[in-house]
Amino acid sequence: MKILTLFSLFVTYSSGNSINIEENAGQFFSSGHTNNWAVLVCTSRFWFNYRHVANTLSVYRSVKRLGIPDSHIVLMLADDMACNHRNPKPATVFSHKNMELNVYGDDVEVDYRGYEVTVENFLRVLTGRLPPSTPRSKRLLSDDRSNILIYLTGHGGNGFLKFQDSEEISNVELADAFEQMWQKRRYNELLFIIDTCQGASMYERFYSPNLMALASSQVGEDSLSHQPDLAIGVHLMDRYTFYLLEFLEDIHPASKSNMNDLFKVCPKSQCVSTPGHRTDLFLRDPGSVLITDFFGSVRKIEITMETINLTDPIQQVELSPVNEELQIEKYSYADQLPVSEIIHQKPKQRDWHPPDGFILGLWTLILLVFFKTYGMKHLKHIF
Amino acid sequence: MAAPLTLLLIVAVTIRAALYRSSLADLISERVEVVSPLTAWKRVVEGLALLDLGVSPYSGDVFHETPLIIYLFHFLVDYAEITFMLADVITAVALYLTVKEYNKQVFRKQKYALEADRYPLDCLELIRSPKEMFYIPLKVAMFYLLNPFTILSCVAKSTCGLNNAVLSLFILATVKGNVLLSAIFLSLATYQSIYPLTLCASALLYLMQRQYIPVNFRRASFWWFIVQYAFMYLGSLFVIVCLSFFLLGSWDFLPSVYGFILSVPDLTPNIGLFWYFFAEMFEHFRLFFLCVFQINVFFYTIPLSIKLKEHPVFLIFMQLAVISIFKSYPTVGDIALYMAFLPMWSHLHRFLRNIFLVCCVLLTCSALFPVLWHLWIYAGSANSNFYYAITLLFNVAQILLVSDYFYAFLRREHHLCYGLYLKRKDGYEATLVLK
Repeated sequence: MKILTLFSLFVTYSSGNSINIEENAGQFFSSGHTNNWAVLVCTSRFWFNYRHVANTLSVYRSVKRLGIPDSHIVLMLADDMACNHRNPKPATVFSHKNMELNVYGDDVEVDYRGYEVTVENFLRVLTGRLPPSTPRSKRLLSDDRSNILIYLTGHGGNGFLKFQDSEEISNVELADAFEQMWQKRRYNELLFIIDTCQGASMYERFYSPNLMALASSQVGEDSLSHQPDLAIGVHLMDRYTFYLLEFLEDIHPASKSNMNDLFKVCPKSQCVSTPGHRTDLFLRDPGSVLITDFFGSVRKIEITMETINLTDPIQQVELSPVNEELQIEKYSYADQLPVSEIIHQKPKQRDWHPPDGFILGLWTLILLVFFKTYGMKHLKHIF
Repeated sequence: MAAPLTLLLIVAVTIRAALYRSSLADLISERVEVVSPLTAWKRVVEGLALLDLGVSPYSGDVFHETPLIIYLFHFLVDYAEITFMLADVITAVALYLTVKEYNKQVFRKQKYALEADRYPLDCLELIRSPKEMFYIPLKVAMFYLLNPFTILSCVAKSTCGLNNAVLSLFILATVKGNVLLSAIFLSLATYQSIYPLTLCASALLYLMQRQYIPVNFRRASFWWFIVQYAFMYLGSLFVIVCLSFFLLGSWDFLPSVYGFILSVPDLTPNIGLFWYFFAEMFEHFRLFFLCVFQINVFFYTIPLSIKLKEHPVFLIFMQLAVISIFKSYPTVGDIALYMAFLPMWSHLHRFLRNIFLVCCVLLTCSALFPVLWHLWIYAGSANSNFYYAITLLFNVAQILLVSDYFYAFLRREHHLCYGLYLKRKDGYEATLVLK
């Protein structure tokens, strides 16, 4: 009797579960990504830009806490605040005053440090065009199933971001870099967050698909810093990232918060500037995009005893090269070099010849002058 | 004198050929002191390559030489080295013949003046004798061929060598008295770079004096000769420009060549005075200063020709020097041409005052040019001010050289009129000052 009830319970449970599994299987691959990367860049040096390093390290901390390993994070810090000789608490970088939270920790791995943080290196990391001797920790080895989080902070202006007080990256360059990444299939979806003055100008020029961007202020507004710590003597964080950190502290790997919640972080009352976002290039609805799709490396694991028929959503993607009419938007690679033409190059020929009239006229004149100078009597010696 | 000249030519050609084969040729052809955007060889090659691709060579800011150069090098681009060596040889031979002819003139005039008893008695030591003048033509040819500036310019395959050849042929034709050839070569030289226009006045003066036409504004024969010469000059210039039009079928060589020379858009550093000024100038004043700088080249023609109307060959020397210093893109090849004339005035050495200073400054500056260029561009520890300072100093030294020779020449003439040991009214020795 008990065995019967248990058995029936088990059957109903498993059948219930199997229905769930079938549904979940559809959701399983809904986001389309299989790995996560993060590129976190602080572009300012000098002690008074402590807050930019703290910004980047706080995002690093959140991203690492939510599961992205150091091998998948490219952390670029333009200056060393933890071991700066003006730091009264060496080997620490605090994000909250009264030293509540040390974002530096024991296991921070900085990949690009100090003067290595340049526009060229940043663009090379993004596009993957690094010299062969670059170690793996300094490369963004993403593929077309990677979701990448890119976080930039520093001093910026309308259309540019300043690197190291000596050079700038413009919004056009950034947009072109992302287009290169798209054409080389280096990302599946990309979330771009920027915390600088007039940060919205940096995402104005994006034109590649699957990009979502957030900025801490609109064009014409400055992003303000949050709070100084009187013991350390500098401002510790910027407002936008401070509230972003507070928001992310509530996220855990299984949370279902989506991007719409992220857009609400730091309203004008808290941030003084108006954060902006851009989702028109993003193919999915932002409400269906989980925070952990970008900030964490959440591997979906469902343990089941059932066999699942992986039906249409998956097969359609696999069959798309065959059934071309099913695909609505077809992306293609950029034109490659016409190698065949280069290999069989013909030798260069001199194609241009001076016109005959010119040669005739010129030499007639020269002969005329010659004979005028030396007299016609010489003619009889020649002929 | 043919044998020493031939020997000199062989030595010069050997030096140049040796330098062509060495690795220095590439190094030299990139130095900004030796090539300018007008005269660089790689621009000529680039222009020819563009033409082979079916594009006008003047499209883009690459090629700024005249179409006749295109025609010349279309056939000779594989023999470019021989062409430039030949140009140098022609220049040297032309200068040699010029100086020989000029010496004959000088000696003849001196003989007449002596017979007419026009020299005071105590300046007999200033009279030149054929014996001392015998080696001057060879020295002039040697000064031109063995001048390091000329050798550098030839090895760099700068078209300045061709310009020098045309100019020296013009001077030869003028000194020989051939009006037509002089007009034609002058128009060729003007066609290639505009500045030889100022040599018109000196050529006119010389030819008129040779044909015994009095240089007097009220005489009809004076104006008639000017009309004839101007007609030949402008006519041949017009014919050459039209021929150039027929070569490529378009007029876009006019802004590329003449517009480029006159409006100085390219501010690559060189040994001239234009680049630094125009690099730091506000756009608002650019036209004004452009006019000022360009007029500066042409401005000295009339005063100098009034002062030196008895001595047109010296006037040619002064004009060449003024052109080389104040033109918009000078190179060391231009300097080499007027320096070749210096042995002609070696009899003035007792009146030259600054020659030691000038020599030292010229040598030092020539040595410092590559050093400061390296410090500025490669080491990054100097900046353009350093290089421009040396440029300025170099030009000041050249101006000092030219004005020194001017002073010495005029002083000699003064002594020939008034005697060598001049006394003031109270019996003390007088000094002559150039005002």
